Amino acid sequence: MAVKYVLKLYVTGVTPRSQAALKNLEKILDEDYKGVYSLKVIDVMKQPQLAEDDKILATPTLIKDLPPPVARIIGDLSDREKVLLGLDMVAIR
Amino acid sequence: MESKTKKGAVEKVFTGIRGFDEILMGGVPKGRATLISGGTGTGKTVILNEFIYRGITQFKENGVYVTFEEDKRDIVKNVKGFGWDYASLIAQKKLAFVDAGAFRDITIESSQNYDLSPLIERVKYALKKVKAKRLVIDCLDNLFARFQNKDVVRQALCQIIAELKDLGITVLMTAEKSGPEQALSRYGVEEFVVDGVIELELIKGQQQFLRRMFVRKLRGTDFRSGIVEFEITDQGLIFYPKISATNLVAKIDFQTRKGFGIKGLDDILDGGIPQGNIVLVSGNTGTGKTMFGMCFLKQGMNEGENAVFVALEEPIEQVKKTALTHGWDFKRHEKEGRISFVTTSLIDISHDRLLHQIISAVEGINAKRVVIDSVSSLLSATMGEEQVRQFVIQLDRYFKANGVTCVMNYLSLSNFGAARGQLVGNRATNEMRLSSILDGIIMLLYVERGQKIKKLLNILKMRGSQHSKEIFGYEIEEDGIKMGEKYEE
Repeated sequence: MAVKYVLKLYVTGVTPRSQAALKNLEKILDEDYKGVYSLKVIDVMKQPQLAEDDKILATPTLIKDLPPPVARIIGDLSDREKVLLGLDMVAIR
Repeated sequence: MESKTKKGAVEKVFTGIRGFDEILMGGVPKGRATLISGGTGTGKTVILNEFIYRGITQFKENGVYVTFEEDKRDIVKNVKGFGWDYASLIAQKKLAFVDAGAFRDITIESSQNYDLSPLIERVKYALKKVKAKRLVIDCLDNLFARFQNKDVVRQALCQIIAELKDLGITVLMTAEKSGPEQALSRYGVEEFVVDGVIELELIKGQQQFLRRMFVRKLRGTDFRSGIVEFEITDQGLIFYPKISATNLVAKIDFQTRKGFGIKGLDDILDGGIPQGNIVLVSGNTGTGKTMFGMCFLKQGMNEGENAVFVALEEPIEQVKKTALTHGWDFKRHEKEGRISFVTTSLIDISHDRLLHQIISAVEGINAKRVVIDSVSSLLSATMGEEQVRQFVIQLDRYFKANGVTCVMNYLSLSNFGAARGQLVGNRATNEMRLSSILDGIIMLLYVERGQKIKKLLNILKMRGSQHSKEIFGYEIEEDGIKMGEKYEE
C-alpha cells in the first residue's frame, strides 16, 4: 500500500510529554493508518533550523504535510478525536 | 511641559534613532527589555527596525528579529523603503530572523499540554548565529492570540526575557494598545517583564495624523518626561525632543543692546533689546511688523551677527523680494551664510518640529538674532494657545542659554481706531497672556485723527531697560522705518 500520510512530529528533547505524545500518536496510527503513513520525529534541540523553517513555536507539534491541506496539531495528542480531525482534514475542491 | 531628570546608574545603549536617544538621555537600558506600546499604525515596528538597523550599521551590534506579525520576506521588503538592505545583512550574518509570521496552515490544539520551548530554542539558535547584542519582538499580542493556553505563553516570555537579561542582550518589543484607558497591552503581562515602557499615539490633525510618544517608565535611569512629537520619514524616524530645562545657564546681558538700526527707536529703547531677550512686536496688519523684523536682522548683519528669519506669514521668496525693494539683498546674505530662512506648512503644524528647525538653523550659522514672523500665525494654525505658550517657553529657554536675541511679531486685531485717551485701553489680547514669558512688548497702533490714519509706537514693556514710556509716531518709507515725534493729543 502506498504512503498517503506524510507526518512530522516536533518535540523538544526527551521529556515525559514528548514520550506521551509519541505513544499516543503511534497508537492512533497503528489502529487507523497502518501502512499508509510515514512519520519523522524531529528534536528541536538537535535541529533548530528545521524548526525555524517550519515556524514551530510549540511542542509537541504534529504536522500533516500530506495529503493537503497542511495541518498542525499541537499538544500531547491525547484527544484522539481531535487528532483524527486534523489527520482526516481534506481539501475542498 | 517641564522636562525633569530622573537619577539612576543603569547603562544605556544608543538606538541611533534621531532625537530618540536624547529623550531617553543616552538610549534604552542595556541588557534589559523595553516595551513599545501603541495602537495600529503608530510606528512601533519602525522603531524596532531602526533599532536593529542602526545597531548593526552604526554600533556594530548584531541583531535578532523575532516576528509574530509579518513574515520575514515582507519585513525585508518593507524596510527597503528606508534604504535598509536586510538581505545583505542576513547574508553577512549580522542579522537573523526568528520568523513566526502568520502562516496559512490549519492549527488544532489537541490538548493544553504543550510548551513554547521551540520558540526559546529558536531564539537561542538565532542569537548564536549572529552573536547578537540586540533583539526585537513584534508583537506580543499575536503570540498570545495564537495559543489557548496563555500561561504557557507567559512562562515562555518570562523565560526568554530572563535569559536575554543574563546574556546582556538589549530587547525592544511591541504590544498593541487598544484604548487610552486600557492596560498597556491586552494580556497585562508585559508590564511585569519589562523595565521600560514607551507609549506611542496617533492624533488626528486637520489634514493628516500626527505622531506622539512619551516615556511611561524607564526603571532606574534618567529620561526626559513630556510628550514628544515624531515623524516617519523616508530615512527612518525623527523625534523632536523638548528643550531641557536643566543644564542651561542664561546668557542675558542687559549691557549688550541689540538695536534695530532705526534712528530714534534705538534711543527710546535705551540702545536696543537686551541680549538674550524675546520681544514681541504687536500690531495690526500694515503696521510694518515684518519691516521692523527685517531692520532688526539687517542691523545685526551690519554688526557682524548672523540672522535667522522664520517666515510663517509669507513664502521665503516673497520675504526676500520685499527686502530687496528696501535695498537689502537677503538672497546674497543667505549665500554668504549670514542669514538662514525657516518655514513650515501651517496646516497640522508640529511645534516640536518647528522648534527643532529653528534651533538647527541657529546652530547652522551660529546666529545671534532671530525674527519669527509671526507667532500669531501659529495660533491660527493647529497650534492651540497652550501649545504656543509651550513653544515660546522652550524657544526662550534655548535663546537665553545661547545669547540669541529674538523679535517675535504678533498680529493684533484689536487696536484700530482707538478712541482719544484710550490708545491702550481696550487691548485685552492674547499677547498679554504671553506677557509673563516675554521680556518686552513693542506695540504698534493705528489711530484715526483728522481724516488721517496715524501710526503710533509704544514700548509697553522692556525688562532691564530704561526705555521711554511715551507714545511716538512713525512712518514706513521705502528705505525703512522713520521715527517721528512724541505723539500728543
